[in-house]
Amino acid sequence: MIELQNVSRSFGDAKLVQALNQVNLRLAQGERVAVMGPSGSGKSTLLNLICGLDEPSTGAIKIDNVDIASLDDDSRTRLRRQKIGMIFQTFNLLPTLTALENVSLPLRLNGVAKKDAEQRATAMLQKVGLAGRAAHRPDQMSGGERQRIAIARALIFAPPVLLADEPTGNLDSKTGEEILALLDELHREFNTTILMVTHNEEAALHCDRVIRLRDGQIISSSAVTARTAEGQ
Amino acid sequence: MMLSSLASITWKQWRQHRLRTALTLLGIALGVAVYFAVRTANVTLLSSLTITIEKMAGKATLQIVGDEGGFPEAIWETVKDTPGVHIAQPVIEVLANTAFEDEGSLMIVGVDMLGDRELREYQFDEAGEEIADPLVALAQPDSIMISRKFAEKHQLKDGDKLPLFTAQGKKEFVVRGIFKPAGLGEIFDGQIAVMDVFNAQFVFNRGRNIDRIDLMNESGVSVDELQQRLRTRLPAGLEIGPPSSRGKGIENSVAAMKIGMTITSFIALLVGVFIIFNSFSIAVNQRWKEIGILRALGVERPNVQCMFLVEAALMGMLGSAVGIGLGFFLAIGAERVMSQIAAQLFSYVTTQQPPVFRWDYAVTSFVIGVISSVIGAWLPARAAARLNPVLALHNIETRQSENVLGKPRIIAGILLVLTGWALIAFGPASVGLSLQFSYSVLIIFGLVLLLPALAALTARALRPLMDRLFGSEGVIAVDSMIQSPRRTSATVGALMIGLSFVFSMGAYVRSYQKTVSDWMDRIVNADIIINTSENARSRTNHFSEDLGKTLAAIPGVRRVENIRFLFLPYADDSVALIALDMDGWFARVKDVVEGADEDEVKDKIIRGEGVLVARNFVARYHLGVGDRLRFQTPTGPFDFPILGVIEDYTSEKGAVFFERELYKRYWNDPAVDIIDVMVTPGAEVATVKQAVTRAVKGQHRAFIYTNAEYKKFIMDLINGFFVLNYMQMTVAIIIAALGIVNTLIISVAERKRELGVLRAIGGLRSQVRKMILLEAAAIAIVGVLSGTLAGVFNTYFLVRTAAHMIGGFTIPFRFPLTIVLVALPVALGIALLAAWWPARKAVNLKVVEAIGYE
Repeated sequence: MIELQNVSRSFGDAKLVQALNQVNLRLAQGERVAVMGPSGSGKSTLLNLICGLDEPSTGAIKIDNVDIASLDDDSRTRLRRQKIGMIFQTFNLLPTLTALENVSLPLRLNGVAKKDAEQRATAMLQKVGLAGRAAHRPDQMSGGERQRIAIARALIFAPPVLLADEPTGNLDSKTGEEILALLDELHREFNTTILMVTHNEEAALHCDRVIRLRDGQIISSSAVTARTAEGQ
Repeated sequence: MMLSSLASITWKQWRQHRLRTALTLLGIALGVAVYFAVRTANVTLLSSLTITIEKMAGKATLQIVGDEGGFPEAIWETVKDTPGVHIAQPVIEVLANTAFEDEGSLMIVGVDMLGDRELREYQFDEAGEEIADPLVALAQPDSIMISRKFAEKHQLKDGDKLPLFTAQGKKEFVVRGIFKPAGLGEIFDGQIAVMDVFNAQFVFNRGRNIDRIDLMNESGVSVDELQQRLRTRLPAGLEIGPPSSRGKGIENSVAAMKIGMTITSFIALLVGVFIIFNSFSIAVNQRWKEIGILRALGVERPNVQCMFLVEAALMGMLGSAVGIGLGFFLAIGAERVMSQIAAQLFSYVTTQQPPVFRWDYAVTSFVIGVISSVIGAWLPARAAARLNPVLALHNIETRQSENVLGKPRIIAGILLVLTGWALIAFGPASVGLSLQFSYSVLIIFGLVLLLPALAALTARALRPLMDRLFGSEGVIAVDSMIQSPRRTSATVGALMIGLSFVFSMGAYVRSYQKTVSDWMDRIVNADIIINTSENARSRTNHFSEDLGKTLAAIPGVRRVENIRFLFLPYADDSVALIALDMDGWFARVKDVVEGADEDEVKDKIIRGEGVLVARNFVARYHLGVGDRLRFQTPTGPFDFPILGVIEDYTSEKGAVFFERELYKRYWNDPAVDIIDVMVTPGAEVATVKQAVTRAVKGQHRAFIYTNAEYKKFIMDLINGFFVLNYMQMTVAIIIAALGIVNTLIISVAERKRELGVLRAIGGLRSQVRKMILLEAAAIAIVGVLSGTLAGVFNTYFLVRTAAHMIGGFTIPFRFPLTIVLVALPVALGIALLAAWWPARKAVNLKVVEAIGYE
């Protein structure tokens, strides 16, 4: 599904900062992987490279066997539309649009008719439990509700991959737990591959595997077993 | 200390946002440039007119001037005999035409050969010195003296022939003297020649009249004393004063042009204020986190406000300095247009002068530029000072939309608009034009207050349409306007003011054109019209009655009528006098007399028992049918009753019409300015025109038009009058376009994160570009809508008040539908062009950075 081969990413000219260094990673369809590590370890860079917002300095990133580094910007954007949903720590909803409009936005950007897009968005809002908040704008909603809207937006295309950057980072623990439960539920329904960057060990327990990054390199990759989860 | 720290922050902001800083400075600079250019061009025009008068006057300390028809030369004898007069010289000025190919006018100055050298500077070329005394040589009837520049241009030397069109037909003169470019030789760009005054009287059909007497007082008698003495000895109606005082009369004549341009230059400044407002609103928005930090660090509210106001003042200083420099160059072009208008419409010929740099104007423009900047920045600076530091330090994502749609603001806006309208509609005209103009400004301010609401409402109304037409990109584009109506409305305000004046000027010109066109259809109905000048008229160049007789003999010509068209002093100003064959005129023009029985009036007018006056004359001088009209004439007072009023647009000063024979009797002036030719029924107008042209060609410099051609010529002259206003409006629109660039750049900067998200969730670069362009289009649409609204009010002011007050004209209101329809795509084009750079910026932003942007 997703394969990273010897991926490196460096920044700067004079003083080179190696954000990722010779990373190899493979994610199977439906697998949930948590990426953990201290600040500056390269977690966000990894996410940006997989979703095609950034390009690797060396190496190949394949999604369904297509090397996204070889694509131009528009092709990467189209690929993102079809195959990758994204959720962010700060939700990143468009403040002027209603919940319904925010959720239907990716469809409409892809040329889906308004009526059709809104029907699908309404169904998605129902799945995330916010059917009653369709006409509300982000500033009229709580943090948890905003993240649910962001998840609905990310999954509106039913993408095979969901990239989540600290999805519970801006939420209280109870709301965070609800969001993680929602992601579990949606994963069961859509069999989405989830790559989640998190600092939260609790959140990582909702995944099948945890990889740990330090100084741009994967230092460990371990499966989350039932025992681990219980131990926590 | 604190302010100096804040100043360093400001300096860094300027450097960081170079483009915004440059655009803001350009906005101020253009506003100030237009203001300074108009004033400089105006003073340059008046100065070039005055310099011309002074050089022509030579050492004369007093001048005696009659009306355009001149006055009898016998008065010269009286002046010469007046104690205290050292020297007195008669002068005739004629703007004649040479018979050279492609040659324009040549100013002929007729002087008395024997005494004029004492009064005027004549420096002759060496070749000229070979003639014992060039002035005496000029006493020969075919002699003429020309400037060196004119001689060089036409490779003329002493003894060569110079062909001139005169009232007597084409005549050849002999060059007997070439003067150096000093004194007289300096003016009219060297297009000047001197001949004997009595010879000029003859060849230019001036009878025994002269235009002017230039005199010098004796050393023991003061100028004032001599002036008083002459006043008691000379008939009334003659103007006696120093040469410099003649400039005043000219200033009065071009007053309408000056008022129009001054008003439009204020518009450019007002648009500049909006740019400042816009720019500083944006700066506050961009720097609100910085403001929050400053407030958290202990900077007081007044200091925050002061920081922005000082920044505005500095921008004002820099922008104004640039604007003054720019304005000085703009003044060159503006002065040329003004000179052209002065020549075409008011028949004043000027000597091209470099722009006059006036320090007082520069200082005024500078101060106005700085004050405008501070005024423009006042509200944003106050908003910055009032910013809640806690909110300012928080993430921008939860920013509330601006609360500018409050009821008090809307009520105040509506009240201002209604008050302005009511004052224009019902206020007394006696308060003067400046106060009347302020009513119009009241409406503009009212609309400015209403703009955010208008922008938000229009954006809301546009949302479904944009959604249907352009999908989510269209929705996001108008949403941006709804979210920040204040940011949008500043740009819309600049556009509104620019466009409203384009609309209203256009509507005014259209209304005026239509009114004049309808009027000409009723009044101007000769088949062929022959004019002495390529301009509206010539003050000095006339036909003789003999030409009319020649034309009457051409086959196909049924009737020829001679018209004298001149301006006469009246009640400290001047009015147009049109003396014509009233019998022929009444035979063709029906139902034109207002306020009296036309048949009765017609007989009396034809018999020369009274006059007709224009409707605007009645309005200006508060006279009516039955009142008496008095002029001083060379033969004594002219005192006749006003028998009727007619609709007429000949001059904004008002016009008087009466029988030409009556004019000839009182003014002793047989000159002809316009010849109307009526063709016999069945004759081809074009064929007769050709025959007329053949008869005139080579003998007279005449401009021959068919009826339709003449009407078009007049319409073109009217359009020429408004050229400068259109130029100024163009500058206002350019400034407004800068506002759009400014707004969109900020819009892109403010929504960096939003745009990044859009790209992250699958928005293509082309979609982002489309969104920015659509936002620009939406701004243009709101601008055109509000501009139309403001334009309608302003047109109402122009036709209801300005036209009436400046010219006494009554012009019906006409909605400028065509202009609005043309303006919409033009404004959209300008907006899209202005959006190109911000859209490029938006498309090229780095998504990863944008998402992480705060």
